Amino acid sequence: MSTASSNDIWAVAQSPWLWVCALVVFAVIGVQSWIYIRAARAAGEDVGISRRDLNRAFRSGAAASVGPSLAVVLVAIALLTLFGTPAVLMRIGLVGSAATETASATIAASSMGADLGGPAWTQEVFVVAFFAMCVSGGAWMLFTLIFTPILKRGSRRIARVNPRAMAIIPGSALLAAFMALTITELPKSAIHVIAVLVSGASMAAMMWLARRFDLGWLKEWALGLAIIIALAVIYVVHHGHLG
Amino acid sequence: MNTADLAMSRFEHTTARWGRATMGAVLMVSLAAPLILLAVGDFDITFSQLLTAYLAVAAVYLVLAMVEPITYFPILGQAAMYQAFMIGNIANKLLPAAIVAQNRLDVRPGSRKGDLVAVMAICGAAVVHIVSLLLFVGVLGTWLLSVVPEPVIEIAQLYILPAILGAVVVQAVVTVRQARSTGFALVMSLLVILVLVPLAPAIGPFGIALAVLLTVLASWFFRGPSGPQEEDGDADGDRPVVPGAAASAESGEHRPPRS
Repeated sequence: MSTASSNDIWAVAQSPWLWVCALVVFAVIGVQSWIYIRAARAAGEDVGISRRDLNRAFRSGAAASVGPSLAVVLVAIALLTLFGTPAVLMRIGLVGSAATETASATIAASSMGADLGGPAWTQEVFVVAFFAMCVSGGAWMLFTLIFTPILKRGSRRIARVNPRAMAIIPGSALLAAFMALTITELPKSAIHVIAVLVSGASMAAMMWLARRFDLGWLKEWALGLAIIIALAVIYVVHHGHLG
Repeated sequence: MNTADLAMSRFEHTTARWGRATMGAVLMVSLAAPLILLAVGDFDITFSQLLTAYLAVAAVYLVLAMVEPITYFPILGQAAMYQAFMIGNIANKLLPAAIVAQNRLDVRPGSRKGDLVAVMAICGAAVVHIVSLLLFVGVLGTWLLSVVPEPVIEIAQLYILPAILGAVVVQAVVTVRQARSTGFALVMSLLVILVLVPLAPAIGPFGIALAVLLTVLASWFFRGPSGPQEEDGDADGDRPVVPGAAASAESGEHRPPRS
């Protein structure tokens, strides 16, 4: 256990201490959601949105995240052998994504002359990489804690100076963020383009159907279905190419 | 201050205080985890090795960690910021969930109802996030890894993001219902991502933020004579339809200008 240059990552990575940390993190996320739900319900009636609609919003959010969550699970389990279970839960479960964390670990490992999962991927390299990933991920939270109150004051001031700004800014920022994120994917490969087009077209078709025939459930599940349709088409294209 | 203002400011107050507290707690635990490993294990690791590794990672990600909270603030609003930057997976999971719910309930992002709906949707997504990770990664992870065929994992790894984003863009356009902003967002994103970033790769980490900033500015300065109401219709059902009355009423409708 103390032969730290060993390749047996799991002896360290499955430490009960890490399990405790991972479970505490998940528990805090759960507590936060509970507090937020109570706060939203307390405000709902006075703002003019019923308890039933808030519950529907919760359910829509849950339904919409099933597809993305399963995809995240698939990517996360691929990292299990490298990082062990609690570290994967902590790093994927918290701010960050599989891509960010894999890249961070690769960079940190190479600073010690090691490759991810290569012969030099020892317990020591794992601990150093995990340290770098945790501190790097913490930066997002730190800056959020610092910037949010400042930005909140700024948005209050803008709203006071010109109230109409708050009717335009959130929507246009949302559109720009997702257009830019999507366009970033396009030059990566032809299959990325197909993924965006199939997914977008499926969503457009389902939104039309949902509106035409008044299908509320379809609005909730359309995202998951669009992801599945797009991935199925890509699976055929990708493997059709390879023969 | 009317009842709606009061209720909303209570909501903002509660979520800000508890949002900060929970995020602070998670930040502590996630920093403590590697330190505990270092303390209880018998490793031959120097401080300079830790510092070098972190600086190498920070060189790539520190700027992003600073820019992303600013970029997403106008979209998320104060309360959801403390959820989103704790849970992560913002573009691929939490914001899509919020957009789906806002579309389902026909409320506009940035309005009061829109904010409450987004927070509830993100809570729903957070619960699915936690349960799916604990169950399928924590409990069944090693077993799943042995039964899921490699090509399936490979496809998920490579193409999940474009497969999510294509659908979300369409839904965002339908939900936001600002024709002008949609046009500006498309033009500015194409300009920044396909022209500016390849010309000056240093822009890279700021690409999304720059597209957002340019779109917000363009949408604001070219908003048209009577603002978004004329092209949007009334999404929340409680907004005045008369353009003249809209401006004054909206100081109450949107994130209220007071503490």
